[in-house]
Order: sequence, then structure tokens, then C-alpha cells
Amino acid sequence: MKPSVPEIGRSLRRADGPSKVTGREKYAADHYGEGLLWAGVRRAGVPHGRILSVDTAEAAALPGVVAVLTGGDVPGTNRQGIVHKDQPVLCREKVRHFGDAVALVIAGDRETLAKAISLVRVRMEPLPGVFGVDDALAPGAPLVHEEWSGGNVLLRATIRNGEAEKALEACPVIVEETFEVPPQAHAFLETENGVAWQEEDGTVVLVVSTQAPFRDKWEVSHALGLPWDGIRVVGPVLGGGFGGKDGATVQCLLALAALHAGGRRVKMWWDREENFLAGYKRHGARLHYRLGAREDGTLHALHCRLFYDTGAYAHLGGEVMALGMEHAGGPYRIPHTLIEGWCVYTNHPVAGAMRGFGVAQVSFAAERMMDLLAGKLGMDPLELRKRNALRQGDRNCAGVTLTASTGILECLERIGGHPLWTGRETWKGQAGPFKKRGVGLAAVWNAMGYGRGLPDSALAKIELTPEGRLRLYSGVSDMGQGNATAFVQIAGHILSQEDETIELIQPDTARTLPSGSSAAGRTTYTYGNALIPACEELRRRIVGRAALMLLVDTLDDLELLPGRVRHPASGREVPLSVLAATMTEHERICISQFLMPVVREVPGTGKEFRIGFPHLFFAHAAHLARIEVDELTGTIEVKDWLAATEAGRVLNPQGFEQQVQGAVAQGIGYGTLEEVKLREGRILTPDFAAYILPGSLDVPEIISLVEEVEEPTGPYGMKGVGEVGANGPLPAIANALADGCGISMTRAPLTAERVLEALRRKGTPGAGETS
Amino acid sequence: MIIGFTLNGKKATVDTRPDRRVVDVLREDFGLTGVKEGCGTGECGACTVLVDGEPRLGCLMLAVQMEGRDLVTIEGLAPEGGLHPLQEAFLECGAVQCGFCTPGMVLAGSALLKRKASPGRAEIREAISGHLCRCTGYQKIVDAVETAAARGGKKEETE
Amino acid sequence: MKEVFLPGNLEELWRALEREPAPRPYCGGTDLLVHLRSGKTDPDALVCLERIPELSGVREEEGGLWIGAATTHARLLDDPLVRARLPLLARALSTLGSPPVRNMGTIGGNICTASPAGDTLPPLYALDGEVELRSRDSSRRMPLRRFITGPGETALRPDEILAGVRVTPDGTYNVHHFEKIGIRRAMACSIASLAALLRVSSSGEIEAARLAWGSVGPTVVVSGEAEQALLGKRLTRDVLEDAAERARKAVSPIDDVRASAAYRREVSGNLLLRLMEHRPL
Repeated sequence: MKPSVPEIGRSLRRADGPSKVTGREKYAADHYGEGLLWAGVRRAGVPHGRILSVDTAEAAALPGVVAVLTGGDVPGTNRQGIVHKDQPVLCREKVRHFGDAVALVIAGDRETLAKAISLVRVRMEPLPGVFGVDDALAPGAPLVHEEWSGGNVLLRATIRNGEAEKALEACPVIVEETFEVPPQAHAFLETENGVAWQEEDGTVVLVVSTQAPFRDKWEVSHALGLPWDGIRVVGPVLGGGFGGKDGATVQCLLALAALHAGGRRVKMWWDREENFLAGYKRHGARLHYRLGAREDGTLHALHCRLFYDTGAYAHLGGEVMALGMEHAGGPYRIPHTLIEGWCVYTNHPVAGAMRGFGVAQVSFAAERMMDLLAGKLGMDPLELRKRNALRQGDRNCAGVTLTASTGILECLERIGGHPLWTGRETWKGQAGPFKKRGVGLAAVWNAMGYGRGLPDSALAKIELTPEGRLRLYSGVSDMGQGNATAFVQIAGHILSQEDETIELIQPDTARTLPSGSSAAGRTTYTYGNALIPACEELRRRIVGRAALMLLVDTLDDLELLPGRVRHPASGREVPLSVLAATMTEHERICISQFLMPVVREVPGTGKEFRIGFPHLFFAHAAHLARIEVDELTGTIEVKDWLAATEAGRVLNPQGFEQQVQGAVAQGIGYGTLEEVKLREGRILTPDFAAYILPGSLDVPEIISLVEEVEEPTGPYGMKGVGEVGANGPLPAIANALADGCGISMTRAPLTAERVLEALRRKGTPGAGETS
Repeated sequence: MIIGFTLNGKKATVDTRPDRRVVDVLREDFGLTGVKEGCGTGECGACTVLVDGEPRLGCLMLAVQMEGRDLVTIEGLAPEGGLHPLQEAFLECGAVQCGFCTPGMVLAGSALLKRKASPGRAEIREAISGHLCRCTGYQKIVDAVETAAARGGKKEETE
Repeated sequence: MKEVFLPGNLEELWRALEREPAPRPYCGGTDLLVHLRSGKTDPDALVCLERIPELSGVREEEGGLWIGAATTHARLLDDPLVRARLPLLARALSTLGSPPVRNMGTIGGNICTASPAGDTLPPLYALDGEVELRSRDSSRRMPLRRFITGPGETALRPDEILAGVRVTPDGTYNVHHFEKIGIRRAMACSIASLAALLRVSSSGEIEAARLAWGSVGPTVVVSGEAEQALLGKRLTRDVLEDAAERARKAVSPIDDVRASAAYRREVSGNLLLRLMEHRPL
């Protein structure tokens, strides 16, 4: 791929590629500095306890220690949280999970820091804890937040359409099951970190690995009582995020440290163990489903009761559950739905946003239910899905009439026509000794954007520099998904400049404009939609200025080319460098805002959701998994993967495929390997030796089929594709397992041990061979 | 103590404690922040450095072990300003997303290609099996190594 | 700060080991550095054995192979003698850790760590490996099975180091089988493993059998009962089921975060059934 003017719909080399392949890219973790100090946290070490005293004297007396701070040293509200401000920066009265922060230590080097942290003496009265949904909801359960009016229930909500209970009674075919999914770790490779310092004018500057630099500014200001305009957050590209860096991690702690560092830089970099201990997780959940259908397979009624364990603090727990509830019925028409949700506080690690935000959980249940139903009806699972697949104009399970592009049926049809599906029986018949093969499907969807109640907005800024080059100010972090490359593509395309000549400014609250978080599959949609008019305006200004300089009286006669504007009729040109030098800053910079449209006809249900319900746009996907199960060990080997994905039109086919493949790999991890194991609030999988991610030998070759359905409101017809692919693998593998081995697994992940146990209970005789 | 070694083709010395980890020395004393740290326990491969041509883990090596060795980090794989054919292939194949695993992946891939000019996809997957990637699902990384291998082969034919 | 010695020959090593307190020997560092990080071990000083030529390499000796303790797993895997004469060990090595770990870790480290999950141990038990221990003044040999006395425990004296391991393969074994169950397919700690050597006659009769299991007991588990159950029989499902049942009785696994004891016990037997695939055609 040589430098060229980007085209929409054609693969473009990543803007950050060259710096990343050469190791030159500076992530937050790569920032050090002269006289650097190190900050670290003394963590609770108990899941629930009342703090009796924190003695810092010994730690503070250690040579090389700059400061040891406790809850009493936090100047502001000492409260963080995106929706509910319930999470202390440093705990004062009590701790609510193992990783809660009790003291902050600043020292001259890491060894001294570690030593000093161990010297902070914390006296704690242990409190009985709640370690799961049942514990939390039991009468008389200990309260995680005594002051919270809802007891241990952060959010109790209901989505009701029609008369689900009555309708279920009338269904000739009903399937019922309860599913469990564990917490999952984001496991981004760059753990939570940042560097902070205080400028002479008092401004606190943070360089931090974050998905939401502009929100961080509010968080720090609120929690530490600092003036909002006295904080600057710089957000370099991230070494992965997946939702886990959406919200407070190191920000407030670092800013507090900076206030005590006398202008020196302070670095905090959680190690992998601290990432597991204190970082966010995907919500563990229990999902109870009853699904009823007519004899012809038409879905009729659904009742589900969903329990999400949000851990010690709210983070986005209510919103995660809301999205799960909104997707609980799968991408199908179900006239009668009753979806009940409980999001509960426990003394577990804090659960928050993760790719597939609440939806990955329900997708397991919903798609297993479809196969259970197909089995009961004696129907082909693909036909059952196609029969019920949502189309534009249908009402979804949340009662929202779909007015935007809806391509799930097309995705299912693509799968159905593929040799991996049509040839499945032959393939299954070729399993070797002690092997069983199975093929499973999943149809999934995922909403884009924040949903109602929270404006999903971006402010794009593009500049023609005085030197005549383009400078693009991205206000929304690139955690690896490639949104910044999409912005370069759009700007280069509209302004006819080669991608490599475009300078990209990553989010910096002092230089770029607020454009929301890097989340919810919204970045390219929202920022891209803001960027298009800004670029179009700049194009008009450039060509307009060229017209003046070339004495051409209609803009149509001019051609904007890489580095210059040309008048083809006369062959005269003006270089952008010359042209830009004649423009004022006001002329050279264009800014435009975009606000994502929302559902206009809001259903009369789900009133408990303050924000984040309902959604207007959805991406869709159908996945097919072919697996081989070893009957001697229970091990699942994922052999082939097919993903048909609809997310509007595709701007960059390579970027689209990256998202699909990466999401499938994460989903395979969620499906077969990954589980944050807990015992009484303690993490039993505290590092990468115990928490197992899929490696290169665990992920098969993934075939990605693209189903393009124009989304008219999207930039060039696109929608966000980042999340939907993460929802398919767990159910597709579980369905393949049921297909191949006749075992119905209800608890994820589908580990070898669980599979072998299920095979044993079923009494599978083992290999077909006999002596 | 003073430790002397070759770093990215040049003689280097560092006066440091012998028990520091190589990943820390390279990042902090030499500014080679392309050597990433993802786990500290040898599980992720992000801190990979070529030691006498072999991929080793900077988090599991002590400074003293650099003595007399030839170390290559991602910064030194290609001459200043240029790209190794595998780096080119990573760009072209879209093998980079967040990029935090990329230095380790590229170094592992380059070592494989030195051992074997045209490895199959299974061999490539095996060669990078000590390197975790949370973004790509590995496929495009395999594509990139395969692409670079195919190019290398062609180059040899024409030379 | 810890002192770290990097002796370039045995004499320098002996001098380093005479210090008080004696520095802790290590080689590849793939276990030691993890334990230093977690605080599981915290010696005052270390001595790295990677530069001592006398402790490295593979050579034919006394009809068998001598493998230097400081030889990396990667070198062993590449070694033509190991591949040709110790295919069982080579198979186990190919499942050990990952390529960079194999470039660092050594067979001596794997033995001295004495983890029941050490991947080279079941094959070395099945092959009746013998360790060579040296100090400045002494040299002794001992069967590996006796050298490893418990999880993380060996018969190594403080002034001694493991110099090498000697394996004399019996060329009459014609089935060399190793299988390891890990949570994932590389870079995985063993949940259970089986190393098996069989001599199967052309008529399909099992004439000799050596079996060793990893990760299902405090040390590698061997079972004469299970071996006995195979002798004079054929590799049929019934025969292997019988041996499997004996194996399940012989193992004494524990529950840990990777798997339950019950699972380990079950698969210890199940792994034997894979031997059916080695039936002569």
C-alpha cells in the first residue's frame, strides 16, 4: 500500500502502523521523565471491612518516600463513578472489595515504593461479605453500601411488552433454562497507567491510558475538588482497552499524587497482578429464560430474569444490564416479552464496561434457547432463526420499532449458503477416534451509541496548517480499534490528500475537542459524522482561496489534489503551502459537531433506566463454529469459524475484518477458557499464568463475510462493528457442543473439565471403536 | 556493575545493578520503550528481545545476563528510518491493532524467518505461541509472516 | 540489591558457591524470576549457570546420551541426537512453555524446580534418567526418581549443582507416546500428562511398558500395576480401560485453580486409551 489519497470502501494502511511496528509509538506507559517519582496503592486485602486506622508513619519515614496519603488527604468529594459517584479514590470508612484503595504512596523509585506500601499499617474490622447474587439478595444480607436506598440492588428494572406470562401459558412449546457466565478480564496488554505532574500555574497534567479523557477531567475535578479548567488530560493511543479503561483507574490517584510531588512527574503503572485485583471486569451473570413458540416455530413469548453482579461499585453496572435486557430476546420478533433485571452490589471486583456490554452474557442464553427450541420442535436451527429474524419495521424484544438498517436475516442467509454449513454432515462424519465434531450457530446483535438520555456527540476539528498540510484533531481515543485511521481516511478522501501527509493529534483536552468516550461502537459513526462537514467546509475554503489566488471565478473549475490546487483548463497550480500561508487561523480551522439520532418513539417500558435505553442502531452478525471435542479429555478444539457481519457499509475492509477477527478471538476465550475465579472475594486467577487467554494455537482461521446494508445516517453508510462479534462465539460453541455431543452446557466457560463431566453424566461410551 | 554488550548493532555499556530486569534497563536506561511489558511473568511475550538472534523475554532476564551478548530490540531490527520486510508486511496485512504485542510478534516472526525461509501457517502459529495478542485474533499476524516469507523467497529467486 | 554471579567456568562457579550465604543457582530464569517477583523466594544472591561450557550440550556417552543441565529446551529440540534417540523427550519438550521460554529455560532447571508439572519429568522417569551431581570435590549419580523427593524438593546438597542428566534409551521400545493436557495449546501449565514407552511385537502383543504421569501427584507418578496390566496383552479398549482404572488408583492429584483432583484422576486413566492409536495395523 503506497501513499495515496484514501478511498472510502478500500483498505487503508493504519495511520499508527509505522510507529507501532518500529516501536516508536509512545503509549502512556512509555512516558517517563527527569526526576520521575513512582506512585502506588496500598490495597484493602480483604473483601469487606471497616477501616479502624491507617498508620502511615513507618512508611513515610522510609528514605526515598515523598508522601503517604490516605482518604483524609483527598481534598474533594473523594468519590468517583460515571453515573453513580459511589467509589472512593481512597477509602476512608470501609473497603468493599479486595482491591479497594486504602493509601497512596509516592516514592523516588519502585523498590522503595513497594517497600513503603508494605509498611502502611492498616487495621481493619472484617465485615461479613456478599459473594454473589444470592448472597446479595438474601434477606438481612450485609450491605455493601449502607447509604444506598436500594439495599444491595443497584438497579431493578423491567421491560414489558404484551402479556408474556399469559402468552407463555398458551404456547404449545416452551423451553426453560438457567445459564451462568463468569466475570471476564479485559486483559489489554498495556495495564492501567499514567504519568502526572503539576505545572507552575497549578494545572495538573495527566498523560494516561484512557478511553475517555474528557470525562476523566470531570472525574478528577469532582473527586479532588480541583477547578475543571485546571486539569489537562492527554490520551495517547492505548495498548488495548475493550471497555476496561472507560472510567476511573489511575486518574484521580495520579492527580492526587501530582498535588504532592512539587512539580515532579509521578508515574503509576499497575502491574498485571494489580490489573486483576483492582481493574474492571465483565459482569458475571445468572440468566433465567423461558421461551415459548408456536408449533411452526414462530416465537411467541419470552420471560427472563437476569441477575448481574456489578461488584463493589456501580461503574456502568446499571447501563450494562440495561443493554443486556434490551438485547435479551436476541435479534428476533417476539410479541410478548417480560424481561426483568437485577443489578446487584457484591464484595466482588468492580464490574464495568466490556466489549459486548451486557449483551455477551444474554447472547449465550438467548442463542442456546433457540437451539433448545429447535431441538424440541425438530426444526433446523438455521430455519428457526431465519423465520424469526428481525427485519426493518419489526418491533424488537424491548418494544422498539426498528427504523434503521437491520441485516440479521441476510447474515443468516450468507451462513446458510456457505460450504462450512452445507457440508457439515460430511465433515462431522470424518471425526477421528475419540473425537466428536459439532457445528453450531449464533445470531447476535449489538446496539451502537449511548442510547437515549445521554447525548452521543462529537466535535471534529481539522486544520490546514500554515505549512499547507492537514492536521486532524481526534477527540476520541484510539485504543487499537483503528478509529483514528478511519478519521484520516475520511479527511484524506474529502480533502484529496495522501494519508501519510495527514498529521493526527490524539485526544488532549487542551488541544482537541470533547467527542465522548471510545466506547459503544460509536467512535467512527459519531466522530466521522462530525468530521465530514468539517472537512467539506475546509475543502470549500481551500478551493475558494485558490480561486482568489488563481483568479478563477467558479470553484467547479478547480481541482484539489495532493499538496496543491489545480486549474485544469490552464494547467496553473497553487501549492497548499503557499495558499495556507495566506490564510488566517480562523480560515484554516474547521470545526463541526454531530449528535447521534435517538429513538423517537420511546416504548412505555424500561422506565427505570435513567440513561442508555433504548437504542436506535444495531450491528448484526451470524456466526458458525465447527468444533472437535476430545472425549478422553473434554478439550474443545475450535476448527473453523465463519462470521457474517452487517454493520452498514464498510469504510475500510481491512479494519472491519480486524474487528471481526479480534472479537471472535475474545469470544472464543470467553467461551472456552476465560474466567475470573473468585472465592469469598479473593481472585484465584491473579495473573496470566492462571487466567488463560487464547493464544495463536487456540484461535482458528476466521472467515469473515461482509453483509453490507446501507445505514443512511452513518458516515458513508457505516455503523460501528467493534462489539457485535464478541457476542457470537460462546453460544455458537455451546451450540456446536450440543450438536456434536448431545450435551447442553449452561455454565461458561466450556472448559475441558466441564465438558468431560457433562459427557460422563450423559454416559457417552467414548470412541466408536471397540476391541 | 558495568555491563558491556551489543545493542541494536552498537557497542553499549551500562553501569547498573546486576539484578535489574533487562526490560527495565532497556526501557529506562536506554529509552527503548518498544520493549513492552504486559505481564512480568513470561506469559505474554511483549518484552521480547533478540539475544544472539533468539527471542528471549526481557522480564525474565537479569541485567548481568546481557554481558557480552548481542541484543536487538524492535527499534534496531531495521536500519534507522527503514523497515524490515516483516514490518512492511505487518503494515500491509493489517497485523497491527493496539500494537502493544507488535514488537514481540515482529521479533518472533523475524527469528522464525531466519530459521526457516518459508514456514507454513501452523509453524508460524507455533512460533508466535508465546506471544499474547488481545486485539487481532492472530490471523493477520500469521498472514504478515507468511507474506514476508513469500516475498523473501521471491527476492532470493531474483537475486 | 542482590549480587548476581555469572561464572564462565566451573572453577568460578565453585568460588561463587563458597560465599556466605551461598548464592542460589539458576539458569534460564523462567521459574526463578517469577518467584522473585511474587516474593515466593528471596535469596540474597544468585548465580547464573548459563555460561558454563561444562554444563551444556548433548553427547553420546556410555551407550546413552548425556545432556548438560544448562542446555536450553530449544537446543535440545534442535539436537539431532535427542530427536533420533529420545523422541519421547522431544515430544514433551515441544509442549513445554512457548518458543521464547524454551530459548531460556533449561532441562536442569526443569528438573531442579521439581514441579510435578515439569514437562520433561514424565519422559525422564519413563526413560529411567539418571542425574549427575557435582560439587568442587565430588561427583555422584542418582536415578532421577530418587533425586526428586517431593514437590519442589530434591536431594541436591547445598554445595552441589546438577551437572547433567544421563539417559540410556532402550532402542527396543517402538511406541513413544507423550500427551499433555493444558488449558490452552501452548504456554500452558500441565493439568495432567502421560509419557509412555511400549514395546509392541509385530503380532500386537505388549512386551514391555513404561508409564509416567505428570501433575497428578506430589511428584511424577509411576504405576507398576498399570504397566503390569498391559504386559502380554494387546492395545485394545478393554485392556487399556483396565490399566486406566489402575492408573486412577495410583495417582494422588490435588485441586487447584486449573483443574479439580477428580478431573485429573479421570484423565490420568483416559490418557492411556489414546495408546489404541498405536495398534499395529
